[in-house]
Amino acid sequence: MDKFLYLISEGFKNVWRHKMTTFTAVFSLFLALYVVGLLATAGENTKSILQYLRSKYKIEVFFKQDIDYQSAKKISNSILQIKGIRSSTVINKDDAVRIFKDQFGEDILSILGYNPLPISAVVNLKRKSEQVLDASPIVNKIKSLEGIEEVRYQGSLIKKIERTYAKIMKYFPYLAVVFILVAVLVIYNTVKLSIFARKELINSLKLIGATKIFIKMPFIFEGLIDGIVAAAIASPLIFGTINGVNYLMNNFTSWNIQLSIAPVLFLWLTLLSGIISVVGSYRAVSDIMK
Amino acid sequence: MIEFNNVSYTHSKGKGVTNLTFSIDDGDFVFLIGATGSGKTTLMRLIYFDLWSDTGKVQVGGYKSDSIRIKHVPDIRKNIGMVFQDYHLLDDRNVFHNVALPLHVLGYNAQEIPYRVEEALELVGFEGKREHYPNELSGGEKQKVTLARAIVKEPDLILADEPTGNLDPVSAFELVQLLETINNNGTTVLMASHNYNLIKGRGRRILELKDGAIRGS
Repeated sequence: MDKFLYLISEGFKNVWRHKMTTFTAVFSLFLALYVVGLLATAGENTKSILQYLRSKYKIEVFFKQDIDYQSAKKISNSILQIKGIRSSTVINKDDAVRIFKDQFGEDILSILGYNPLPISAVVNLKRKSEQVLDASPIVNKIKSLEGIEEVRYQGSLIKKIERTYAKIMKYFPYLAVVFILVAVLVIYNTVKLSIFARKELINSLKLIGATKIFIKMPFIFEGLIDGIVAAAIASPLIFGTINGVNYLMNNFTSWNIQLSIAPVLFLWLTLLSGIISVVGSYRAVSDIMK
Repeated sequence: MIEFNNVSYTHSKGKGVTNLTFSIDDGDFVFLIGATGSGKTTLMRLIYFDLWSDTGKVQVGGYKSDSIRIKHVPDIRKNIGMVFQDYHLLDDRNVFHNVALPLHVLGYNAQEIPYRVEEALELVGFEGKREHYPNELSGGEKQKVTLARAIVKEPDLILADEPTGNLDPVSAFELVQLLETINNNGTTVLMASHNYNLIKGRGRRILELKDGAIRGS
């Protein structure tokens, strides 16, 4: 028991004794965790940004002149049955005149003496689709319905946004894995360098009959402490950065998006940090002891 | 205690030891003498199983080089105290913690450690400066601390590899006397040196190494 307590206390003391190497290891760990955390948060929030943009999509459907309000309502209900449609609001001829006046400042009735505007509907797409939303088939389905004169939508913009989202979603996991691997390599080498600087200690311990586990244990504890400290520094900074971005978006842009952080992210970061530094320390001491 | 039987070892860049055959009994004090590069350090390293002989057999205590397993090496070293020319003290801890280190390795009780460390430091005549770090000590003081670290665990064997190499003549003489005192308490001592004047006339057995082979005993 005394031996075990000694090894734990050595782990803590080593952090203090070798402040510079500890600082280097913690700093590189912190940087890696910070970027991984921000990447994970960005990935998590890509969906909500897309949902926000989808909420801005709108398809305008113009009915034929001979379609009355009740028939338009029926067609609108048929539109609602199409997969991917969130809502469909019918705009009658009187409302169309009001909208025209709001947009162009002219009263079309007094200019032409009659109301040429057709009954129309504003169709919104579903926001929370997990799949990439392709609006073209929806538009084609609407066009194929009886009583539809014209369908207008922001086709190219929707396509561009959805295509970009699909690309991000396709490559994001690979990017994340590559980044984590690079981070692991950087951290491993930093830990290895910091342990290599204490080669003399390892050799002395070997000469006085210390077993492998006795030599490795303090380094493993030290690695664990470094990992926890790095996660403890990175977590509030990620939190602060996201809050800062939210503040900027809400106060200086018209975007009504609130980026969120999953609390479990901090647990994952601490685990990742602890595992990398402990495994890194173990491997580094083993390499030096060979 | 130590037995070499036709032991040869060659380093990757040449030199080493050739056909060494000798034995050292429990409680002996043996000087190992020879010029630099004659194989003294190689011989020492073969004893504490830092090197493994190419041919022949080394036996230390009950352990034989042809049958020992790597995992048993720490067990052998627990019974060997080592003193080196360049001290091998740890710069990041003070005198007390340097001397206490072998006791932690052996799993001594935390209450017993200060008492044993004090006893070892007194035995080698190291006074005060328990809180000092190695870089705050003179060469002679460092070597005393190294010796205290070697004897604190009461080993059966002390290997001293050129322990006086960095010391002035008075400190070197004192160190040899200290080793003799330790030997008088029953500990086997093997001390390597290239300083014949220091060891002659002490009435101890001398093994002379030349070009890796024993030239006289």
